[in-house]
Amino acid sequence: MAHAMTVPESGHAPRPRKAPMPPVLRAFLWAAIGFLLLNTFVIAVDPFRGHPFVTGPSVVFGWVGAAIGWLLGIGLYDAVLLPLMGFPTRWQERQQGWRRYWEFATDHKVIGLQYMMFAVGGFLIAGGIAMLMRYELMTPYLTIFHYPSNYLTAVGIHGTLMMFSFATVFMIGGLGNYFVPLMIGARETVLSKLSGIGVWLVPVGILTVLFSPLLGEWSTGWRGYEPLAGQDANGILFYYLGVLALTMSSLIVALNLVATVMFRRAPGLTWGRLPLFVWGQVTVNLLMLIWFPEIQTTFVMALLDKVVPLNFFTATGSPLTYLMLFWLFGHPEVYIIAVPAFAIWNEIIPVMAQKSLFGRQWAVIGLVFVMMLSGLVWAHHMFTNLRNSEILPFSFFTEMISIPTGFAYMSAIGTLWKSKVRLNTPMLWILMSMFNFLIGGLTGVFLADPIVNLQLHDTFWVVGHFHYTIIGSMVFSGFGAIYYWLPKLSGRTFNETWGKTLAIITFLAFNLTFSQFFLLGLHGMNRWVPAYPAYLQPMNFEVSIFAFILGAAFLGNILYIGYCWRNGAQAGENPWGAKTPEWFTSSPAPRYNFPVQPEIVGSLYLYGEGTKVPVVTTALGELAATSRATQDPQFDWHDYAPDGGGVTS
Amino acid sequence: MGENVVFAVLWVVFSVLGEIGDRVIIRHNPMYYIVSNQGQLALQAFNFLLVVLTPVFVFVVLFLVFTMVRFTTKRGEMPPANKRFAIDNKAFVLVWVGGSIALNLLFFLHPTTSAMEQMFALDQPAANTHDLVVDVTARQWQWIFSYPQYGLTQTLTPNGQNLLELPVNVPVKFVLRSYDPYHTYDQYADVIHSFWVPAFGIKEDVIPGETRYEYLTPTAITSYAVNPMVRVQCAEVCGPGHPWMESPLAVVSDQQFAQWVKAQKALANG
Ligand code: HEM
Ligand SMILES: [Cu+2]
Ligand SMILES: [Cu+2]
Repeated sequence: MAHAMTVPESGHAPRPRKAPMPPVLRAFLWAAIGFLLLNTFVIAVDPFRGHPFVTGPSVVFGWVGAAIGWLLGIGLYDAVLLPLMGFPTRWQERQQGWRRYWEFATDHKVIGLQYMMFAVGGFLIAGGIAMLMRYELMTPYLTIFHYPSNYLTAVGIHGTLMMFSFATVFMIGGLGNYFVPLMIGARETVLSKLSGIGVWLVPVGILTVLFSPLLGEWSTGWRGYEPLAGQDANGILFYYLGVLALTMSSLIVALNLVATVMFRRAPGLTWGRLPLFVWGQVTVNLLMLIWFPEIQTTFVMALLDKVVPLNFFTATGSPLTYLMLFWLFGHPEVYIIAVPAFAIWNEIIPVMAQKSLFGRQWAVIGLVFVMMLSGLVWAHHMFTNLRNSEILPFSFFTEMISIPTGFAYMSAIGTLWKSKVRLNTPMLWILMSMFNFLIGGLTGVFLADPIVNLQLHDTFWVVGHFHYTIIGSMVFSGFGAIYYWLPKLSGRTFNETWGKTLAIITFLAFNLTFSQFFLLGLHGMNRWVPAYPAYLQPMNFEVSIFAFILGAAFLGNILYIGYCWRNGAQAGENPWGAKTPEWFTSSPAPRYNFPVQPEIVGSLYLYGEGTKVPVVTTALGELAATSRATQDPQFDWHDYAPDGGGVTS
Repeated sequence: MGENVVFAVLWVVFSVLGEIGDRVIIRHNPMYYIVSNQGQLALQAFNFLLVVLTPVFVFVVLFLVFTMVRFTTKRGEMPPANKRFAIDNKAFVLVWVGGSIALNLLFFLHPTTSAMEQMFALDQPAANTHDLVVDVTARQWQWIFSYPQYGLTQTLTPNGQNLLELPVNVPVKFVLRSYDPYHTYDQYADVIHSFWVPAFGIKEDVIPGETRYEYLTPTAITSYAVNPMVRVQCAEVCGPGHPWMESPLAVVSDQQFAQWVKAQKALANG
């Protein structure tokens, strides 16, 4: 299989018989069949007759059947299983047109865009739900949500989709898949078929979580705390299953990207020269490889607790164990979201300033230490229920983690100091991201102090804090990155006036909304409440107004980017004068990224007098151990040239 | 050189202004309303962090603004390329790394450890004198208060709401449990709640199957009618009744408390 996927399509034969229906449609059909098969089977063998057609246990198996059917239908069958077993297959990868984004693909750029597309979908859905929540919170009593559990389900879906289908997906599955191979001068990823399948677990996860209310309300929010989860209706099953699908997808991304960075770096791209963005990705990928299996195991246990039922996490078991297991993953998760953003800052700043990156090694050390420390601080989410003797150690590591986090600021500040930076749209988003994350981080110092935490925990202070860290880092940097790479992604560019205006509106709306969360929290507003004491209404009302503006601003940005993608002015090949390898090929890059294997001959972050162009694209023969040539005796680079390969659809 | 000086001066000026702002905030109590010794500890810690972090905040924000004003090219212009750039500056790195380590060690010693030591000391035998013990039972979705020293099993307001009443300046020991005394076949089928009185500045989770203690002393006569932060509020999501899992609270004088106990007894004995 490994060989099959590294050899490019011979491709000269015309596309054989057309597939009978679009893969997505077939996937839906096969998913329905899979669901019916397994669900019916479970009902048939159910010893307690007289149940409805869909029960808790049956829906779990049915869901597994549906997920498998979905993946088989989307391409696992045609493109992976048949060739793997040596059967002829009709499948041929589409090379052009919008349809390839709605099919199984092996091109990491297509897969990256698929991830971005689904992540933005998740963001819009979860964002729409946030608008409903804010509408509800305009009054101290129930309005659009008729029962508190409806509201709590909305909070849970909002949080779960934002975290698992957007925050961990957009930057890593999306930007990571698209840019890591380009930035290390690779022609493709190592596990490209697996990766092409994995992305299709994202819509599975999103739809599962979104439609969880079909099985009943669940009231736990995104953390699924036990033993409450055990009391909830079966909707909570779709929370477990949806998250399983989403984390599985991200796990595949992590595996693929780490392997690609290890084995497919261009000649000359030593670890010491690795682009900052790639370092960010590698560190969080390692975090994902460590902690995602852990949370998946926990969710399987919780699921069994519910459907069997067992008593792992009830009063007769140990509720605190669930909390521990959740946050053991949960804290690294927040750094999985934030670290790529730190990396983006120091990726974009030197380019916009055309000035050498200051303290590059510190920026990298910061990322690596944040990654390592992030596994030692989980119980700071549990100060209100931890043993006294455990409070101080966790507080210690929590406070210490702000040191390596600060290194990202140190490098950025050192680089910008006495520079002449172009204050364009991407740069503006980055500066805003630095401001917002500063507030997120400093409010976190208050939370890290246990005596203060005992007051602020589970209030809107925390909600403000984590929205500042998540939106402040990942969303603002994400917009910065998209504006920065838009010329690469689409070959087109945007209008500075529009870009900046939208950025400023978003920034103001964001800060006006979430800064007041801190005050609400201090004033006694607790979380997970659709109804609250009336004295909190005036501020909540006003916060909601700003939140609606913020929602509109996000939407405006997304629409504007979409507009520029198709209709923007033509961009130059390397409009910002960057030195990283992704800019040393055409925009968008051809199928196998570079017409010839590029070689890296210098630092990617040095600018000014006497520095050279670090990427040369003439090093044909002399390929390093990381390249294809040493593994494939028939290697001929012409096979990989966009026209030489001759693959057309 | 010039920029360094300008920046340093501005940093000092804005930090001083920030500190003045902090004084104003502290005067008005950033935690709005705090009436317990425990809450006082939290408030002091909060204020300390606020004061020390202000120059840090000012440094970074000033830097970002400074960058936008002083370190930018004109629109559409490329940055000049004919320069050599520092990629290292030992002094700056030393001050930054050393400074952030020092700051965080400081925070760990004070207020983190110092305040926690004071809090932990409250359950040491010397302080834990059992002046008043209140058993707090959390069930979905209700707080039940009983006073074993006075033989009161469930204290209520005249219209039947659960009521927590405490004498001022008397150390209280709360015994926190989550179970359902009315659930006839499975008393332990309950979930995690969190016992929070915003005005006391502390919350402790109440966990099924475990017993937790919380010690504090209310420091002012007050009630829910005086300030709505004087209420018992569940702070951990516990199902659909969570938003309404709250109880009024009154802190009263010793005499009023004695009278109230009598009245509650009379009520209980019917
Ligand atoms: C579009 C602007 C947004 C608004 C107005 C908003 C608003 C809210 C509100 C009101 C809550 C409920 C807090 C509570 O009662 O506990 C909440 C929870 C949450 N939000 Fe957002 N949010 C927004 C965007 C985001 C984004 C972009 C993310 C992450 C990428 C996010 C992640 C979360 C999480 C994880 C929770 C916790 C859910 C839980 O308690 O289970 N939100 N948000
Ligand atoms: Cu954490
Ligand atoms: Cu509750």
